[in-house]
Amino acid sequence: MADKPVYEEASIDGQPPKLASIPASDTTVWADASPLLQAACAGLRDGELIHGDNFNLFAAMSALEIMDPKMDSGIVCTYYSIDEAIENGAAPIPISLDSTIDVRCTIDIMDHLLACEAAWHKGHSLAQTVFSCIYLLRLDRTAPHALLHSYCRIIRATCKAVVSVVSDARTHEEEDLFTMTYGLPLNGDGDDKCLSILNAVEETISRQLRACKATSSKRRLPEDLEPLQSNPNLEEGFCKALLCRLRFRKHFFHVLSCMKRPQGRGLESARKHIASCLTELESILKSADFLRSCFDESCEGDIDDKTTASGFEPIGFDAMLNSRLSAPTPPRAIKILSWKKAVEYFVKLLHDLDVICSYSLDPHLESLLRFVVQFQKSQPDLVARSHLQLLLVQDGKLYGRDPFFAVINKAAALPEATKNHDIQKNESFLQLGMLVMNLLKILCTNAAWQRRKLGKFLQDWRVIYVQLELAFRNEYGEVSSSSNDENTCMKIFQHILLWVEEQTYWIAFRFLILGFELELYSTGEYCMVYWYLYAVLIKLTEKTHLMMAVSHDNAKRKGKKKKDSPKDLARESRIPPAVLFLQCYICLAEGLSMYLSRCLLL
Amino acid sequence: MEAKPEEKAEIEAPEIEYVSYGGEHHLPLIMNLVDQELSEPYSIFTYRYFVYLWPQLSFLAFHKGKCVGTVVCKMGEHRNTFRGYIAMLVVIKPYRGRGIATELVTRSIRMMMESGCEEVTLEAEVTNKGALALYGRLGFIRAKRLFHYYLNGVDAFRLKLLFPPPRQVL
Repeated sequence: MADKPVYEEASIDGQPPKLASIPASDTTVWADASPLLQAACAGLRDGELIHGDNFNLFAAMSALEIMDPKMDSGIVCTYYSIDEAIENGAAPIPISLDSTIDVRCTIDIMDHLLACEAAWHKGHSLAQTVFSCIYLLRLDRTAPHALLHSYCRIIRATCKAVVSVVSDARTHEEEDLFTMTYGLPLNGDGDDKCLSILNAVEETISRQLRACKATSSKRRLPEDLEPLQSNPNLEEGFCKALLCRLRFRKHFFHVLSCMKRPQGRGLESARKHIASCLTELESILKSADFLRSCFDESCEGDIDDKTTASGFEPIGFDAMLNSRLSAPTPPRAIKILSWKKAVEYFVKLLHDLDVICSYSLDPHLESLLRFVVQFQKSQPDLVARSHLQLLLVQDGKLYGRDPFFAVINKAAALPEATKNHDIQKNESFLQLGMLVMNLLKILCTNAAWQRRKLGKFLQDWRVIYVQLELAFRNEYGEVSSSSNDENTCMKIFQHILLWVEEQTYWIAFRFLILGFELELYSTGEYCMVYWYLYAVLIKLTEKTHLMMAVSHDNAKRKGKKKKDSPKDLARESRIPPAVLFLQCYICLAEGLSMYLSRCLLL
Repeated sequence: MEAKPEEKAEIEAPEIEYVSYGGEHHLPLIMNLVDQELSEPYSIFTYRYFVYLWPQLSFLAFHKGKCVGTVVCKMGEHRNTFRGYIAMLVVIKPYRGRGIATELVTRSIRMMMESGCEEVTLEAEVTNKGALALYGRLGFIRAKRLFHYYLNGVDAFRLKLLFPPPRQVL
């Protein structure tokens, strides 16, 4: 066996890559290790393996076979480095000496970058999507090309802003690929001025558009403007196509900036920019007809799969150049979204962000929870969900504005006066505040992650209940005190204990319901699930009803000087609508459970 | 009579021979099958890790001397439970739909049960209807959903089979 390789050689498909030799330096020298490896082959018998104590599955899976294209991220596919790619003309500046083609190619790059950005948002690495653009990797080179330069700058600044939002939301466990930016030039000098640079370019093109419209109506040109490109028939179409793309980027950047402002102060402005973005996206879609028809050559393949509006392949992209930066994942050709799907993605993202921006920052926790649950039904992606989370939880307060004890105080139907009570400094109440904060964060994660977290979370809520109960017993025992403050403390404990129970059952209910959405239950399990739902709903309804009765008592006590009108008495005996609704759920769950159990018997 | 699907091999069930992993000579067969059919790349170490440490849990299916299917598994302590794990399961296309995969998995699970496992788990793509049906029939439940588990962005289900406690198995 000594002179034969033990395994088949890994085959490299297609042509072998160009052999760029890595030269030895002053401190390094190449040494031939073949004799050593040959000797090693002879040293082991068939089936033997030498491994360290720490050889486990993770170590085995992390190993890779060099020069196996499925595993080796360092394998040279096209160029050894970005510089080599540039030297070989992979990203020319200007893109073409023919100004018409140059403009069209610039638009293609813009479109492909949009598609890359959407692919990144959807869960692929930044290195192999947006930063597969060689122009973006060496942004300073693009300075002579104002259009490309300004567009790349704003893309870079936008990506940085989005990475920052998602990082701050700290859902790293679920989507850690998103925020991996090692080795990528995300921080650019002067990127804070990207908007003014973009505005300047936008201005120039606007003037050109006005000029070519003036020419067509045979009015005299006000200034001696250089046209965008050489074909006067295409000037208007190209100007329009460029303007909507530039404006979309401008408004999108504004959306991100506005939403970042603390305590939701920028939400209204953000909505205006969102509306502008949507308008520009429509114009971008419409520009496709012009872009496809302006050249005689038609492009091959299905137009709907293309990553550009024109259908042409963009110049200046190489996803494999950064494959080393994409480790630890194995090298994988990423399928960039089609341009159409990318636009659809951004339309959805903008609608989701708009829902967030329209939210009234309701201080009532129950309303907020309902809003978040409703929002999640539209299956928002990571970027939207991160924005929601950052809006809800800032600086350890709700909306960066309301301390969590005050929120709990209100949710537990305690009088307004108690929200500043010293009891909130008690360890258990501090922990309860943390739990509510974590609950909100968890509710903003994707459904799969959310359900797992909620399941584990139930334990924490049970523990806090026990802790609070213990603290209550220790302070007040069974004796009712006559002191006013002690009465208040007792009341706080009682309300909050009841509220904690209600929340716990609500979490259990969400855990069960999410299983349907995630398709975790097989039909044979439905009977069991509905039975559990029935049991949980009964307890939830009981606690909710108690909570409402207690809150009604408070309201009554406030206005106790007034006589009870017949209307008030009638209202008292009616079951609150929220409770009635839960009772409907109970009936449904009970009925389905019984019906399905009969089906199983048949 | 339904038209027979293309590429179906003509075989009778008893013609399939099931063999427990027998040594180095089986390894290239397993590697070729898995490399062909599964999208995730595995290094030679990964294969060795499984078949070297748990040879009794890996099985191969042969038809007239040709290897047409394989299952590769492991077992061990995981957070206070002794748990089996199905790492790879492959049957080549012409031989699918004949219960070969089910038989391979069943043999492995039986061995895990005899070795004292309390449960068996694996991950499967949410879109892999065949695998989900196979394991569903064997009594696996969908314990969790894993968001974007696979590199192509597809979610996975963590499937779990819980064995009844030993005292009931008499």
